[in-house]
Amino acid sequence: MILLDRVTKTYGKDLSPAVDRVSLFIEPREFVILVGTSGAGKSTLLKLLTREEKPTSGKIVVGGIDYDTLKDSSIPMLRRKIGVVYQDFKLLPQRTVFENIAFALEIAGMTRHEIKNTVPKVIELVGLTGKEKQFPHQLAGGERQRVAIARAVVRQPKILIADEPTGNLDPKHSWDIIRLLEKINKYGTTVLLTTHNADIVNKLKRRVITLDHGKITSDQAEGSYRQ
Amino acid sequence: MIARKKVDSKTISQQKKSRRKLLTFYRIIKYGVDNFIRNSWLSVAATAVMTVTLLIVFVVFASRIILIDTVSELSNNVSMSIYLKTETTDKVGEDLVLEAAKLSSVRSVTYCSASCARDKFAQTNKDDLDALSALNNATNAFPATLSIIVVDINDTTQLEDFVKNNAMVLENISAEHTPSFAGERKLAIQTIGRAVNFIQQLGVAIGSVFVVISSLIIFNTIRMAIFNRREEIQMMKLIGADKSFIRGPFLVEAIIYGLIAAIIATGLGVWGLFSSSATLASYDISVNSTVGLANSYWPLLIVAMVVVGSIVGVVSSLLATRRYLKI
Repeated sequence: MILLDRVTKTYGKDLSPAVDRVSLFIEPREFVILVGTSGAGKSTLLKLLTREEKPTSGKIVVGGIDYDTLKDSSIPMLRRKIGVVYQDFKLLPQRTVFENIAFALEIAGMTRHEIKNTVPKVIELVGLTGKEKQFPHQLAGGERQRVAIARAVVRQPKILIADEPTGNLDPKHSWDIIRLLEKINKYGTTVLLTTHNADIVNKLKRRVITLDHGKITSDQAEGSYRQ
Repeated sequence: MIARKKVDSKTISQQKKSRRKLLTFYRIIKYGVDNFIRNSWLSVAATAVMTVTLLIVFVVFASRIILIDTVSELSNNVSMSIYLKTETTDKVGEDLVLEAAKLSSVRSVTYCSASCARDKFAQTNKDDLDALSALNNATNAFPATLSIIVVDINDTTQLEDFVKNNAMVLENISAEHTPSFAGERKLAIQTIGRAVNFIQQLGVAIGSVFVVISSLIIFNTIRMAIFNRREEIQMMKLIGADKSFIRGPFLVEAIIYGLIAAIIATGLGVWGLFSSSATLASYDISVNSTVGLANSYWPLLIVAMVVVGSIVGVVSSLLATRRYLKI
């Protein structure tokens, strides 16, 4: 599902690479946790996957799409196949819960009928039924993250990238979000999660990839958090 | 059968595509209108700035037309005189009028005989008793006059040639009085002519400077508005929105600013023009044709203002969104 072959990303000529010859393979339906200190290269790695950054060298293939042959005009199409969730939610502040989720379908040119059918199901999946008409600022942090997740999965992407989704949440709500990600994974979506939360990493018992100074230092099948 | 099916599926997919495009277009407009309403505070500010700009454009153009009218009226009143012998007959005078009227640089010619010139003098000096008594004592020594209004008061060469070379003029021209464009008054007339040109050019220059400055203010306002929403733009990019889908609503918003601002600015401008026309006219400023223009062409005026406002807004939005779309 995700294949990286000796991928390197250097920002400045004299700086040491943010991502250094990383090779990685993630199977379809896998649930993978990416850990590492700040500046270890997690964010850069995710930006390479969403094509916000181009690698300095190396090969990236996601969902059968080879990034080397990907045209700039096709980047929107690629991003529609990958769901992304961020620490700061990145919701549209002037739009309601329903509109925020519907937006992901509208940009793909779906009809109103399709949107009316699909969005309520996703809202139910993330447990926000009844809050469709509220604006992001009226919601609690955990609820906002649910909206972001709903928006990411409403197009039924094969891959969901969650970049520190629990970074701004208290432990209880963090666990709600993690359970939701597990549920989404169970329905068949590959999940790539980054987190600083040792408790979550240790309890989940999933594949853990540790990054340090841009390099993979460990890759365990049922891993735990190590600094 | 299979071939027909293929064609059918092709047309169906094409229909689907064009329907999708239409839907996207509709959504871009809807998002633009929604953003305008939901960011009401920002919309009010941007519309206000644009209203001021369009009002400046309106005032610059209106005052330019008024200036040109006033100036051309002034130069219409600057007549040049060819003085003829006192004994010139009306018949000869009328012939000379016809001759002079043939010149391309001449707008109009009137003839005033010696006695007519005397009456005019008496009329203009009716309060000056000394001048009147001098007039009564004097013999009728007034020259008959051809009063000529030229098209361009800076260009009198054709007229000078006419005076020097036309046989009929040479036969009848006054020996004591030189034509007014040839003597000292020529300088005065040319000075007026140059001043008129200068004022018109100055008007264009000041107008352009105002328009450029206020366009920059609009650009800056829109840039700030878009700067405030840069994360929103980046987020839209990250979930896979096309550039046109992100940019479109901003352009729609800019057009709405232009639309509302144009209507307000035209309303204010035309109202200001109408209500000040009486005052302006009392200062001998020619406002009538401008008021007339505004009266009969105001719908066109609004359309032109909408176009100007929208273009400035759309160009500003395009420039301002460009940097955030590069991901």
